Amino acid sequence: MIKATEKEEYLEKLWNMKENNADDINQLTSAMNSDSNSSVIQEMLVENLIIINNDKVAFTDTGEEKARKIIRAHRLAERLIFDALGGDYESGACEFEHIVNSELVDSICILLGHPRECPHGRPIPEGDCCKSAVKTAECAVMPLTEMEPQQSSRVAYVNGYQKESRLNKIDDLQIRSGVMIRMEQKKPAIVIQCEGADIALDDNVASDIYVWKECTRYRSKFEDSDIKAPDCVPPKRFGFMRRARFGRKACNQGCNNG
Amino acid sequence: MAIELNSQRMENIPITKIGVIGLPNSGKTQVYNYLTGTYNVVANSLLTTIEYKKTLCEIDGHACEITDTPGLHELYVQSHEEASTREYILSENPDIIIMCMDSTRLKQSLNLAIDLLELGKPLIIALNALDETNRRGIWLDSKKLLHFLRVPVIETIALNGQGIDELKEALFKTRGIKFEFQYDQTIEDGITQIMDRLPANIQNQRKIATLVLMNDSYILDYLIRVNEISQTDIEEINTCVKKTQQNFPGNINRVINTRRSQWVDDIANEVIQKQNIRPYEVEKTIARLCRKPSTGIPILLLIVYIMYLAVVNLANVLASWMDETLWVPISNVINSFISPGFFNDFLIGDYGILSLGLANAFITVLPILSVFFIIYNTLEDIGYIPNLCILTKRLFEKVGLSGASVMPLVLGFGCKTMATLTTKSLTSKRERYIAIYLIAFAIPCAAQMGLNISILGRMGFQAFAITFFVLSIAEISAGMILNLLLKREEKGDFIQELPPIRLPVPKAVLVKTYYRLIWFLEEALPVFIYAAVAMFILDKTGLLMASKIFLSPVIEGWLGLPLEMVDALILCMARHEAAAGLIIKLIQQDMLNWVQCIVAVTITTMFIPCFANIVAMAKELGVFKTIIMTICINASAFFLAGCLNWALILIF
Ligand SMILES: Nc1nc2c(ncn2[C@@H]2O[C@H](COP(=O)(O)OP(=O)(O)OP(=O)(O)O)[C@@H](O)[C@H]2O)c(=O)[nH]1
Ligand SMILES: [Mg+2]
Ligand SMILES: [Zn+2]
Ligand SMILES: [Zn+2]
Repeated sequence: MIKATEKEEYLEKLWNMKENNADDINQLTSAMNSDSNSSVIQEMLVENLIIINNDKVAFTDTGEEKARKIIRAHRLAERLIFDALGGDYESGACEFEHIVNSELVDSICILLGHPRECPHGRPIPEGDCCKSAVKTAECAVMPLTEMEPQQSSRVAYVNGYQKESRLNKIDDLQIRSGVMIRMEQKKPAIVIQCEGADIALDDNVASDIYVWKECTRYRSKFEDSDIKAPDCVPPKRFGFMRRARFGRKACNQGCNNG
Repeated sequence: MAIELNSQRMENIPITKIGVIGLPNSGKTQVYNYLTGTYNVVANSLLTTIEYKKTLCEIDGHACEITDTPGLHELYVQSHEEASTREYILSENPDIIIMCMDSTRLKQSLNLAIDLLELGKPLIIALNALDETNRRGIWLDSKKLLHFLRVPVIETIALNGQGIDELKEALFKTRGIKFEFQYDQTIEDGITQIMDRLPANIQNQRKIATLVLMNDSYILDYLIRVNEISQTDIEEINTCVKKTQQNFPGNINRVINTRRSQWVDDIANEVIQKQNIRPYEVEKTIARLCRKPSTGIPILLLIVYIMYLAVVNLANVLASWMDETLWVPISNVINSFISPGFFNDFLIGDYGILSLGLANAFITVLPILSVFFIIYNTLEDIGYIPNLCILTKRLFEKVGLSGASVMPLVLGFGCKTMATLTTKSLTSKRERYIAIYLIAFAIPCAAQMGLNISILGRMGFQAFAITFFVLSIAEISAGMILNLLLKREEKGDFIQELPPIRLPVPKAVLVKTYYRLIWFLEEALPVFIYAAVAMFILDKTGLLMASKIFLSPVIEGWLGLPLEMVDALILCMARHEAAAGLIIKLIQQDMLNWVQCIVAVTITTMFIPCFANIVAMAKELGVFKTIIMTICINASAFFLAGCLNWALILIF
């Protein structure tokens, strides 16, 4: 019997291919580069996750739903590791998506304020939480537009899928995850200070930039001079961490069954 | 592009090409001025330099051609003006690059430094504006920077020329270093494949290939235009790009940018050493107050009122004093030597070359401009003017302009020609069109503004207030009409850097005023004199009278102005300042009452954009559209001024 994780890797790869409008079965198998190629594909066909027609692969509805969940978990995990923990997302996330359940994924999503894309710029599929746009106290980030004047905070991430030129411009000005910014004024246009420069933004640009509600210090030892100490309290334990333990238990069960 | 060579090109001596490159508003022009000993406008604002300027000079016994460039954020460009700077770097291949690094924006500068280092050219870094970081309580370790970048790092304060000598000394000792980021295997493969398809003779292959892979919108255009790559090659390159992007499990730009950001962060963390924390709140508070409508509008009105007072009480008095002590004796002497007649008229008659030409320029216009330029240049060096674009953003948004195009409009109050050229940075065609029209229409440039104040000041503050109110209404309605007429497009993003508020340095302001006046005289004096001669001929041949009679229904009937104003309108076509001088004459001779004065100023402000502005418009829009626009502007100028005349007559 082929391990569940292996099939999930295939689903994930296929999703990525679909995003690039590719559907060649050979591309899928060569990308996976595994010995058990044909048997995995065979089993996925049997489980009615994919269909193959003239060397073109497509998802079935169940397959697509499953892939969607995995991708969502993967990319949210990347976001979490990259933004919140300042770590290297390449190494961590790969295993993550196979062990988390959707409740945990949703709480990460809420915590991060329903990010729309992973650090690589790929879209994160929406979950139920995003559709109802749950905004709870558990959410640790907020869009820049919600900052108070004179408040300083650290950028969590920038949404900007398919707005390549805007994103590059923002990046040129060094507005990216991890830097401190300070809201100078909100009207008539938002003016922020970032890395020594004053930058004016439209509301629609600013609402794509997410900042931590409570600023955390560990990502860089250099701080802007004007940050007053009381703004910077160490992060409290997020609600999600308490839930995570519960989530982990549920996940282990899931893994044992699989 | 503007190329100026201050000595003949020496054929046999090898010329070292040096480019001064850096972020917008980082002090490039200031460094360039010190290196070359010439002057190019320095202002605390973005988009001051918008075309490159070259000068030949000698440094350390070498013949050098130094180029001042427009600001650049990185080699991956987003707009036309950045693309043109990049083109200079890629195609003209400067032998040495001086990077002007704004130390207050170290991270942004380091991001640009990566690109310049990757070119492998001899690079030297001027770590500029260190006085400013000191005031902010930040200390930068330039030794560490040198250690990381492996190119010379010279500490400079370009404002007063500190460090320029060291810069000159180190200039010819610098060498290019090999500096490359290694990316993921997939990306590297993609880069190699694209490099294979580029012609073998072009330089900076790796950089260009990376830009192509990052989907830079201007680079393929550049390759086709400059390197004449065939269409099939382009298609092959495009396939390569697509394939790499498909094979790569993420967004290539983001991954590359993340790599760069990490490098920047690592270096910045090492180099930035905090001293004591001394906030620079004062400047920031001033900036904020200027931008908030509740305080910003009063501040703006106050500034305008101060300008008014200065021009009326200082410039006008100065001008009439000069008239009495300089012009009156001269004309008396001439009158006593040359009896009234043809030659007397030719020299000091109504259209004499001395009276309408020289005296008009030197005695009427120059004092007013000097006073006004001092004030305007001070505001420019404070950095007030770009901040106006935040204050007025809402207003212009109603007119269909996004925040991005407000900047050129605001810059139009300095020089309309330059402002027209800065519309290059707008991505939306529709906005460019509206912005160019509005700049050409009712915005007075600095010289016009000063002269308008001087004219209206003679009639009292009320006249001044009414005129500028009418001009703003005209401008806003023109914008609204254009907004309705032109097809809607998606709005461009508004992401605008603002310059910091700085204490102006009197010497810098005076030097700038001096050069602006010299440039005015150089450009305008010949025009003043030619125009006087032309008017003299028109007058003597009777053509002037004929045209006055022909135009009298419009001038007298519709506009309610005396026929002498025809002279002013004709002069207006040559140079607005000349017309203003004539209007001042008319006022002194009591030929204009205050309603006529308001109408006269309104129409000369809106009538025909100055010649340089028309050339700039043609450059941005093409000849045909420029002609249409000019006709529209003049027609609306006459129409509005007439309406104003009747309205004023009804009310007062
Ligand atoms: N405090 C301080 N100000 C400086 C220094 N160097 C330049 N400036 C100021 O910075 C402003 C911009 O200088 P410019 O030389 O016009 O800058 P630029 O890079 O040519 O700007 P653009 O042409 O608009 O891209 C001016 O107001 C200068 O007076 C410096 O060392 N210290
Ligand atoms: Mg400049
Ligand atoms: Zn990702
Ligand atoms: Zn969500």
